Amino acid sequence: MRRSEFWKQRLIGFLFPPESDNWLALLRFGLGLQVVLYCLSIRKDWTYLLAGNGGLISRNLSERIFALESPLIPRLGWIVTLGGHFGLSEESILSIVWYCLVTAGCFLFLGLFSRAAAIATWFLHLAVLKSADLLSYGMDNLTTIGLFYLMLSPLPDRCSLDWQWRKSRPKHRDLLGFWRRVLQTQMCLIYFFGGLAKCLGPGWWNGINLWRALTRPPFDLISADILVRFKHFLPITGVAVWLLEIGYPFLIWHPRLRRPWLIAILLMHAGVGIAMGMYLFASVMIVLNLAAFGPGILWHRTQAPDDGSSFSGSMVPSPKN
Amino acid sequence: MTYVHLAGIESGYGFFAPNVPGTCKLVFELHYPDGRTETRVPAVSSHASGLRVATLLDKIGRPQYDSLREVIIKMLASAVWREHSDAKMIRAVFGVVTLPTAEEFEHGVRESSEFLYSYDFAFQPDEPKQANP
Repeated sequence: MRRSEFWKQRLIGFLFPPESDNWLALLRFGLGLQVVLYCLSIRKDWTYLLAGNGGLISRNLSERIFALESPLIPRLGWIVTLGGHFGLSEESILSIVWYCLVTAGCFLFLGLFSRAAAIATWFLHLAVLKSADLLSYGMDNLTTIGLFYLMLSPLPDRCSLDWQWRKSRPKHRDLLGFWRRVLQTQMCLIYFFGGLAKCLGPGWWNGINLWRALTRPPFDLISADILVRFKHFLPITGVAVWLLEIGYPFLIWHPRLRRPWLIAILLMHAGVGIAMGMYLFASVMIVLNLAAFGPGILWHRTQAPDDGSSFSGSMVPSPKN
Repeated sequence: MTYVHLAGIESGYGFFAPNVPGTCKLVFELHYPDGRTETRVPAVSSHASGLRVATLLDKIGRPQYDSLREVIIKMLASAVWREHSDAKMIRAVFGVVTLPTAEEFEHGVRESSEFLYSYDFAFQPDEPKQANP
Protein backbone atom coordinates (compact mmCIF):
# COMPACT_ATOMS: atom_id res chain seq x y z
CA MET A 1 0.00 0.00 0.00
CA ARG A 2 2.79 2.37 0.94
CA ARG A 3 4.72 1.42 -2.18
CA SER A 4 1.73 2.09 -4.44
CA GLU A 5 1.19 5.41 -2.67
CA PHE A 6 4.86 6.23 -3.17
CA TRP A 7 4.69 5.56 -6.92
CA LYS A 8 1.42 7.43 -7.20
CA GLN A 9 3.06 10.46 -5.63
CA ARG A 10 6.06 10.08 -7.94
CA LEU A 11 3.78 9.94 -10.96
CA ILE A 12 1.82 12.99 -9.85
CA GLY A 13 5.08 14.76 -9.13
CA PHE A 14 6.30 13.94 -12.63
CA LEU A 15 3.11 14.93 -14.42
CA PHE A 16 2.39 18.11 -12.44
CA PRO A 17 5.75 19.69 -11.59
CA PRO A 18 5.88 23.33 -10.52
CA GLU A 19 6.87 25.28 -13.60
CA SER A 20 7.52 28.79 -14.85
CA ASP A 21 6.00 29.95 -18.10
CA ASN A 22 9.28 30.49 -19.96
CA TRP A 23 8.67 27.45 -22.12
CA LEU A 24 5.19 28.63 -23.00
CA ALA A 25 6.48 32.07 -24.01
CA LEU A 26 9.02 30.35 -26.27
CA LEU A 27 6.39 28.09 -27.79
CA ARG A 28 3.99 30.97 -28.40
CA PHE A 29 6.66 33.24 -29.82
CA GLY A 30 8.21 30.54 -31.97
CA LEU A 31 4.99 29.13 -33.39
CA GLY A 32 3.63 32.60 -34.12
CA LEU A 33 6.75 33.34 -36.14
CA GLN A 34 6.62 29.90 -37.74
CA VAL A 35 3.06 30.38 -38.96
CA VAL A 36 3.84 33.83 -40.38
CA LEU A 37 6.91 32.48 -42.21
CA TYR A 38 4.88 29.53 -43.48
CA CYS A 39 2.27 31.88 -44.93
CA LEU A 40 4.89 34.11 -46.51
CA SER A 41 6.76 31.14 -47.99
CA ILE A 42 3.79 30.07 -50.12
CA ARG A 43 2.12 33.46 -50.52
CA LYS A 44 2.48 33.57 -54.32
CA ASP A 45 1.07 30.06 -54.74
CA TRP A 46 -1.53 30.23 -51.96
CA THR A 47 -4.62 30.32 -54.18
CA TYR A 48 -3.02 28.06 -56.78
CA LEU A 49 -2.34 25.35 -54.17
CA LEU A 50 -5.65 25.64 -52.31
CA ALA A 51 -8.24 26.30 -55.01
CA GLY A 52 -11.18 23.97 -55.44
CA ASN A 53 -11.12 24.53 -59.19
CA GLY A 54 -8.49 26.06 -61.42
CA GLY A 55 -5.52 25.39 -59.18
CA LEU A 56 -2.70 22.88 -59.24
CA ILE A 57 -4.90 20.08 -57.90
CA SER A 58 -8.40 20.38 -56.52
CA ARG A 59 -8.70 20.97 -52.81
CA ASN A 60 -11.98 19.05 -52.93
CA LEU A 61 -10.16 15.74 -53.41
CA SER A 62 -8.38 15.91 -50.03
CA GLU A 63 -11.48 17.27 -48.33
CA ARG A 64 -13.65 14.41 -49.55
CA ILE A 65 -11.12 11.85 -48.36
CA PHE A 66 -11.06 13.42 -44.89
CA ALA A 67 -14.85 13.77 -44.81
CA LEU A 68 -15.02 9.98 -45.11
CA GLU A 69 -12.71 9.62 -42.10
CA SER A 70 -14.49 12.17 -39.95
CA PRO A 71 -16.87 15.03 -40.75
CA LEU A 72 -15.41 17.04 -37.85
CA ILE A 73 -11.90 17.54 -39.27
CA PRO A 74 -11.58 21.28 -40.13
CA ARG A 75 -11.24 22.14 -43.80
CA LEU A 76 -11.27 25.21 -45.99
CA GLY A 77 -14.45 24.04 -47.69
CA TRP A 78 -16.40 25.06 -44.56
CA ILE A 79 -15.10 28.61 -44.77
CA VAL A 80 -15.57 28.82 -48.54
CA THR A 81 -19.17 27.62 -48.20
CA LEU A 82 -19.81 30.12 -45.40
CA GLY A 83 -18.32 32.96 -47.43
CA GLY A 84 -20.38 31.90 -50.43
CA HIS A 85 -23.53 32.77 -48.47
CA PHE A 86 -22.23 36.35 -48.30
CA GLY A 87 -21.51 36.46 -52.03
CA LEU A 88 -17.74 36.12 -51.68
CA SER A 89 -15.79 34.30 -54.37
CA GLU A 90 -13.50 31.40 -53.51
CA GLU A 91 -10.43 33.45 -54.44
CA SER A 92 -11.48 36.27 -52.10
CA ILE A 93 -12.11 33.85 -49.25
CA LEU A 94 -8.74 32.15 -49.70
CA SER A 95 -7.06 35.57 -49.58
CA ILE A 96 -9.01 36.44 -46.43
CA VAL A 97 -7.92 33.15 -44.86
CA TRP A 98 -4.29 33.98 -45.67
CA TYR A 99 -4.57 37.43 -44.06
CA CYS A 100 -6.40 35.97 -41.04
CA LEU A 101 -3.71 33.33 -40.55
CA VAL A 102 -0.92 35.91 -40.79
CA THR A 103 -2.77 38.21 -38.39
CA ALA A 104 -3.40 35.36 -35.93
CA GLY A 105 0.28 34.41 -36.17
CA CYS A 106 1.33 38.01 -35.46
CA PHE A 107 -1.01 38.21 -32.47
CA LEU A 108 0.45 34.96 -31.21
CA PHE A 109 3.97 36.29 -31.70
CA LEU A 110 3.12 39.42 -29.73
CA GLY A 111 0.99 37.64 -27.15
CA LEU A 112 -2.03 39.75 -27.82
CA PHE A 113 -5.34 38.01 -27.16
CA SER A 114 -3.16 34.93 -26.82
CA ARG A 115 -5.85 32.32 -26.24
CA ALA A 116 -8.09 33.47 -29.09
CA ALA A 117 -5.06 33.85 -31.36
CA ALA A 118 -3.86 30.33 -30.49
CA ILE A 119 -7.26 28.79 -31.23
CA ALA A 120 -7.67 30.76 -34.48
CA THR A 121 -4.15 29.89 -35.64
CA TRP A 122 -4.60 26.20 -34.84
CA PHE A 123 -7.99 26.06 -36.60
CA LEU A 124 -6.98 27.94 -39.74
CA HIS A 125 -3.64 26.18 -40.05
CA LEU A 126 -5.31 22.79 -39.61
CA ALA A 127 -8.02 23.63 -42.15
CA VAL A 128 -5.38 24.64 -44.69
CA LEU A 129 -3.27 21.57 -43.90
CA LYS A 130 -6.16 19.14 -44.29
CA SER A 131 -7.47 20.77 -47.45
CA ALA A 132 -4.00 20.57 -48.98
CA ASP A 133 -3.13 17.23 -47.42
CA LEU A 134 -1.69 15.83 -50.65
CA LEU A 135 0.80 18.72 -50.65
CA SER A 136 1.67 18.59 -46.97
CA TYR A 137 4.68 17.04 -45.28
CA GLY A 138 6.07 16.42 -41.79
CA MET A 139 6.62 20.08 -40.96
CA ASP A 140 2.89 20.76 -41.19
CA ASN A 141 2.01 17.99 -38.75
CA LEU A 142 4.66 19.14 -36.29
CA THR A 143 3.30 22.68 -36.44
CA THR A 144 -0.19 21.31 -35.73
CA ILE A 145 1.15 19.39 -32.73
CA GLY A 146 2.75 22.54 -31.33
CA LEU A 147 -0.33 24.68 -31.96
CA PHE A 148 -2.59 22.07 -30.38
CA TYR A 149 -0.63 22.02 -27.12
CA LEU A 150 -0.22 25.79 -27.16
CA MET A 151 -3.96 26.26 -27.49
CA LEU A 152 -4.59 24.03 -24.46
CA SER A 153 -1.84 25.48 -22.27
CA PRO A 154 -2.53 28.18 -19.65
CA LEU A 155 -2.10 31.38 -21.65
CA PRO A 156 -1.11 34.18 -21.40
CA ASP A 157 2.53 33.98 -20.31
CA ARG A 158 4.31 36.84 -18.60
CA CYS A 159 6.21 37.88 -21.74
CA SER A 160 3.01 38.49 -23.66
CA LEU A 161 1.34 41.83 -24.25
CA ASP A 162 -1.72 40.32 -22.60
CA TRP A 163 0.21 40.08 -19.33
CA GLN A 164 2.19 43.30 -19.65
CA TRP A 165 -0.39 45.57 -21.19
CA ARG A 166 -3.84 44.10 -20.66
CA LYS A 167 -2.95 42.76 -17.20
CA SER A 168 -4.57 39.47 -18.12
CA ARG A 169 -3.64 36.40 -16.05
CA PRO A 170 -4.09 32.69 -16.77
CA LYS A 171 -6.70 30.82 -14.76
CA HIS A 172 -4.81 27.55 -14.29
CA ARG A 173 -1.13 28.32 -13.91
CA ASP A 174 -0.77 25.11 -11.95
CA LEU A 175 -1.15 23.25 -15.26
CA LEU A 176 1.95 24.86 -16.79
CA GLY A 177 4.10 21.93 -15.68
CA PHE A 178 1.61 19.35 -16.93
CA TRP A 179 1.42 20.76 -20.46
CA ARG A 180 5.17 21.06 -20.63
CA ARG A 181 5.43 17.40 -19.64
CA VAL A 182 2.96 16.52 -22.40
CA LEU A 183 5.07 18.38 -24.95
CA GLN A 184 8.26 16.76 -23.60
CA THR A 185 6.69 13.31 -23.83
CA GLN A 186 5.51 14.02 -27.36
CA MET A 187 9.03 15.05 -28.40
CA CYS A 188 10.47 11.89 -26.85
CA LEU A 189 7.99 9.75 -28.80
CA ILE A 190 8.75 11.56 -32.05
CA TYR A 191 12.50 11.07 -31.73
CA PHE A 192 12.36 7.53 -30.39
CA PHE A 193 10.21 6.20 -33.21
CA GLY A 194 12.00 8.33 -35.80
CA GLY A 195 15.35 6.92 -34.65
CA LEU A 196 14.02 3.38 -34.37
CA ALA A 197 12.62 3.46 -37.92
CA LYS A 198 15.96 4.74 -39.21
CA CYS A 199 18.10 2.10 -37.51
CA LEU A 200 15.92 -0.70 -38.91
CA GLY A 201 17.18 -0.03 -42.42
CA PRO A 202 20.80 -0.66 -43.48
CA GLY A 203 20.94 2.70 -45.30
CA TRP A 204 21.34 4.67 -42.07
CA TRP A 205 24.28 2.47 -41.00
CA ASN A 206 26.36 2.63 -44.17
CA GLY A 207 25.78 6.27 -45.12
CA ILE A 208 23.75 5.51 -48.25
CA ASN A 209 20.58 7.11 -46.91
CA LEU A 210 22.37 10.27 -45.87
CA TRP A 211 23.94 10.50 -49.32
CA ARG A 212 20.57 9.93 -50.98
CA ALA A 213 18.82 12.44 -48.71
CA LEU A 214 21.39 15.12 -49.55
CA THR A 215 21.56 14.44 -53.29
CA ARG A 216 17.86 13.90 -53.81
CA PRO A 217 16.02 16.69 -55.64
CA PRO A 218 14.76 19.12 -54.38
CA PHE A 219 17.03 18.76 -51.33
CA ASP A 220 20.26 18.73 -53.32
CA LEU A 221 21.46 22.19 -52.34
CA ILE A 222 25.00 20.92 -51.83
CA SER A 223 26.65 19.76 -55.02
CA ALA A 224 27.29 16.01 -55.16
CA ASP A 225 30.82 16.83 -56.36
CA ILE A 226 31.50 18.52 -53.02
CA LEU A 227 29.59 15.97 -50.97
CA VAL A 228 31.47 13.01 -52.41
CA ARG A 229 34.70 14.33 -50.89
CA PHE A 230 33.20 13.66 -47.47
CA LYS A 231 31.85 10.20 -48.29
CA HIS A 232 33.83 8.54 -45.50
CA PHE A 233 32.01 10.67 -42.94
CA LEU A 234 28.57 9.68 -44.21
CA PRO A 235 28.30 6.34 -42.32
CA ILE A 236 29.43 8.00 -39.08
CA THR A 237 27.01 10.87 -39.51
CA GLY A 238 24.16 8.51 -40.48
CA VAL A 239 24.67 6.42 -37.34
CA ALA A 240 25.02 9.60 -35.26
CA VAL A 241 21.64 10.82 -36.54
CA TRP A 242 19.66 7.79 -35.46
CA LEU A 243 21.67 7.42 -32.24
CA LEU A 244 20.84 11.02 -31.37
CA GLU A 245 17.17 10.40 -32.08
CA ILE A 246 16.78 7.03 -30.39
CA GLY A 247 18.77 8.18 -27.36
CA TYR A 248 16.80 11.40 -26.97
CA PRO A 249 13.97 10.07 -24.73
CA PHE A 250 16.52 8.56 -22.33
CA LEU A 251 19.42 10.98 -22.24
CA ILE A 252 17.49 14.25 -22.43
CA TRP A 253 16.66 13.60 -18.74
CA HIS A 254 20.23 12.79 -17.71
CA PRO A 255 21.72 15.59 -15.58
CA ARG A 256 25.08 15.62 -17.37
CA LEU A 257 24.12 14.56 -20.89
CA ARG A 258 20.91 16.46 -21.49
CA ARG A 259 22.61 19.75 -22.33
CA PRO A 260 25.02 18.35 -24.97
CA TRP A 261 22.24 16.09 -26.27
CA LEU A 262 19.84 18.98 -26.74
CA ILE A 263 22.52 21.13 -28.37
CA ALA A 264 23.41 18.26 -30.72
CA ILE A 265 19.75 17.82 -31.70
CA LEU A 266 19.40 21.56 -32.32
CA LEU A 267 22.55 21.56 -34.46
CA MET A 268 21.27 18.54 -36.38
CA HIS A 269 18.06 20.37 -37.25
CA ALA A 270 19.94 23.54 -38.16
CA GLY A 271 22.15 21.42 -40.40
CA VAL A 272 19.15 19.79 -42.07
CA GLY A 273 17.62 23.20 -42.65
CA ILE A 274 20.75 24.66 -44.22
CA ALA A 275 21.94 21.61 -46.17
CA MET A 276 18.57 20.50 -47.50
CA GLY A 277 16.68 23.79 -47.72
CA MET A 278 14.07 22.58 -45.24
CA TYR A 279 14.09 25.83 -43.32
CA LEU A 280 10.58 25.62 -41.93
CA PHE A 281 11.02 21.99 -40.89
CA ALA A 282 14.20 22.94 -39.07
CA SER A 283 12.66 25.97 -37.41
CA VAL A 284 9.59 24.16 -36.07
CA MET A 285 11.76 21.38 -34.62
CA ILE A 286 14.06 23.93 -33.00
CA VAL A 287 11.07 25.79 -31.54
CA LEU A 288 9.50 22.60 -30.16
CA ASN A 289 12.81 21.45 -28.67
CA LEU A 290 13.58 24.81 -27.11
CA ALA A 291 10.10 25.04 -25.61
CA ALA A 292 10.10 21.46 -24.34
CA PHE A 293 13.60 21.29 -22.88
CA GLY A 294 15.36 24.63 -23.33
CA PRO A 295 14.42 26.36 -20.03
CA GLY A 296 16.30 24.56 -17.31
CA ILE A 297 18.83 22.96 -19.67
CA LEU A 298 20.16 25.74 -21.88
CA TRP A 299 19.44 28.52 -19.43
CA HIS A 300 18.12 28.95 -15.90
CA ARG A 301 14.42 29.23 -15.51
CA THR A 302 13.22 32.42 -13.90
CA GLN A 303 10.36 32.91 -11.55
CA ALA A 304 7.22 34.72 -12.62
CA PRO A 305 7.17 38.17 -11.00
CA ASP A 306 3.83 37.93 -9.27
CA ASP A 307 3.23 34.26 -9.15
CA GLY A 308 5.80 32.78 -6.81
CA SER A 309 3.51 30.02 -5.64
CA SER A 310 3.61 28.19 -8.94
CA PHE A 311 7.32 27.63 -9.27
CA SER A 312 9.84 25.87 -7.08
CA GLY A 313 12.94 26.88 -9.03
CA SER A 314 14.10 23.29 -9.43
CA MET A 315 16.33 22.69 -12.43
CA VAL A 316 15.99 18.94 -12.67
CA PRO A 317 13.12 17.64 -14.75
CA SER A 318 12.88 14.39 -12.86
CA PRO A 319 10.00 12.71 -11.05
CA LYS A 320 11.06 14.60 -7.92
CA ASN A 321 10.11 18.02 -9.19
CA MET B 1 -9.94 9.24 -35.20
CA THR B 2 -10.96 12.89 -35.18
CA TYR B 3 -8.77 13.61 -32.15
CA VAL B 4 -5.57 12.35 -33.77
CA HIS B 5 -6.18 14.62 -36.76
CA LEU B 6 -6.93 17.63 -34.54
CA ALA B 7 -3.75 17.01 -32.54
CA GLY B 8 -1.61 16.41 -35.62
CA ILE B 9 -0.54 12.93 -34.48
CA GLU B 10 -2.19 10.82 -37.18
CA SER B 11 1.00 10.19 -39.13
CA GLY B 12 4.18 8.38 -38.15
CA TYR B 13 7.52 9.98 -37.43
CA GLY B 14 9.72 7.91 -39.71
CA PHE B 15 11.02 10.79 -41.81
CA PHE B 16 13.32 9.34 -44.48
CA ALA B 17 13.16 5.98 -42.69
CA PRO B 18 13.94 3.16 -42.91
CA ASN B 19 15.11 4.13 -46.42
CA VAL B 20 15.15 7.29 -48.47
CA PRO B 21 12.88 6.66 -51.46
CA GLY B 22 13.75 7.56 -55.04
CA THR B 23 12.51 10.90 -56.32
CA CYS B 24 9.40 10.74 -58.44
CA LYS B 25 9.27 12.90 -61.52
CA LEU B 26 6.42 14.02 -63.74
CA VAL B 27 7.00 15.47 -67.19
CA PHE B 28 4.30 16.72 -69.54
CA GLU B 29 4.71 16.53 -73.31
CA LEU B 30 2.52 19.17 -74.90
CA HIS B 31 1.42 18.35 -78.45
CA TYR B 32 0.19 21.25 -80.61
CA PRO B 33 -2.01 21.10 -83.71
CA ASP B 34 0.89 22.21 -85.94
CA GLY B 35 2.99 19.22 -84.84
CA ARG B 36 5.17 21.09 -82.34
CA THR B 37 6.02 19.38 -79.07
CA GLU B 38 7.12 21.00 -75.82
CA THR B 39 7.94 19.59 -72.42
CA ARG B 40 6.86 21.09 -69.11
CA VAL B 41 7.02 20.13 -65.45
CA PRO B 42 4.55 21.21 -62.72
CA ALA B 43 5.61 24.76 -61.88
CA VAL B 44 5.21 26.86 -58.74
CA SER B 45 6.67 30.18 -57.65
CA SER B 46 8.86 29.39 -54.65
CA HIS B 47 11.21 26.81 -53.19
CA ALA B 48 8.73 26.18 -50.33
CA SER B 49 5.95 25.44 -52.81
CA GLY B 50 8.36 23.28 -54.80
CA LEU B 51 8.93 21.10 -51.73
CA ARG B 52 5.18 20.57 -51.57
CA VAL B 53 4.91 19.59 -55.21
CA ALA B 54 7.82 17.16 -54.74
CA THR B 55 5.94 15.70 -51.75
CA LEU B 56 2.82 15.29 -53.89
CA LEU B 57 4.76 13.45 -56.61
CA ASP B 58 6.37 11.16 -54.04
CA LYS B 59 2.95 10.40 -52.56
CA ILE B 60 1.33 9.49 -55.85
CA GLY B 61 4.25 7.21 -56.64
CA ARG B 62 3.32 5.00 -53.67
CA PRO B 63 1.22 1.88 -54.21
CA GLN B 64 -1.56 3.11 -51.91
CA TYR B 65 -2.20 5.96 -54.36
CA ASP B 66 -2.74 3.63 -57.34
CA SER B 67 -6.44 4.47 -57.54
CA LEU B 68 -5.88 8.22 -57.21
CA ARG B 69 -2.78 8.58 -59.35
CA GLU B 70 -4.53 9.06 -62.66
CA VAL B 71 -7.04 11.53 -61.18
CA ILE B 72 -4.28 13.64 -59.64
CA ILE B 73 -2.10 13.56 -62.75
CA LYS B 74 -5.11 14.61 -64.81
CA MET B 75 -5.57 17.60 -62.47
CA LEU B 76 -1.90 18.48 -62.85
CA ALA B 77 -2.16 18.14 -66.63
CA SER B 78 -5.20 20.45 -66.60
CA ALA B 79 -3.18 23.04 -64.67
CA VAL B 80 -0.47 22.91 -67.34
CA TRP B 81 -3.05 23.05 -70.14
CA ARG B 82 -4.60 26.23 -68.70
CA GLU B 83 -1.22 27.89 -69.28
CA HIS B 84 -0.92 26.38 -72.78
CA SER B 85 -4.51 26.16 -73.94
CA ASP B 86 -3.55 25.85 -77.61
CA ALA B 87 -2.16 22.37 -76.98
CA LYS B 88 -4.45 19.62 -78.24
CA MET B 89 -2.97 16.77 -76.26
CA ILE B 90 -0.80 16.37 -73.18
CA ARG B 91 1.11 13.22 -72.44
CA ALA B 92 2.01 12.84 -68.78
CA VAL B 93 5.06 10.68 -68.16
CA PHE B 94 5.55 9.60 -64.56
CA GLY B 95 8.76 7.97 -63.42
CA VAL B 96 11.24 7.62 -60.64
CA VAL B 97 14.75 9.03 -60.58
CA THR B 98 17.34 6.54 -59.39
CA LEU B 99 20.33 8.19 -57.73
CA PRO B 100 23.82 6.71 -57.82
CA THR B 101 25.65 5.86 -54.61
CA ALA B 102 28.70 7.93 -53.64
CA GLU B 103 31.02 5.26 -55.08
CA GLU B 104 29.05 5.07 -58.32
CA PHE B 105 29.05 8.86 -58.55
CA GLU B 106 32.84 8.87 -58.25
CA HIS B 107 33.00 6.47 -61.18
CA GLY B 108 30.96 8.77 -63.35
CA VAL B 109 27.52 7.22 -62.88
CA ARG B 110 24.78 9.84 -62.79
CA GLU B 111 21.08 9.77 -62.00
CA SER B 112 18.84 7.73 -64.26
CA SER B 113 15.10 7.84 -64.81
CA GLU B 114 12.88 4.81 -64.76
CA PHE B 115 9.59 5.02 -66.63
CA LEU B 116 6.55 3.97 -64.57
CA TYR B 117 3.33 5.28 -66.13
CA SER B 118 2.14 7.34 -69.06
CA TYR B 119 -1.21 8.99 -69.57
CA ASP B 120 -2.57 10.83 -72.62
CA PHE B 121 -5.06 13.62 -72.10
CA ALA B 122 -6.84 15.15 -75.10
CA PHE B 123 -8.04 18.75 -74.71
CA GLN B 124 -10.37 21.10 -76.53
CA PRO B 125 -10.02 24.88 -76.35
CA ASP B 126 -12.42 25.32 -73.41
CA GLU B 127 -12.06 22.34 -71.13
CA PRO B 128 -10.49 18.92 -70.79
CA LYS B 129 -12.40 16.56 -73.06
CA GLN B 130 -11.18 13.08 -72.50
CA ALA B 131 -8.57 11.13 -70.62
CA ASN B 132 -6.90 8.15 -72.24
CA PRO B 133 -4.67 6.36 -69.78
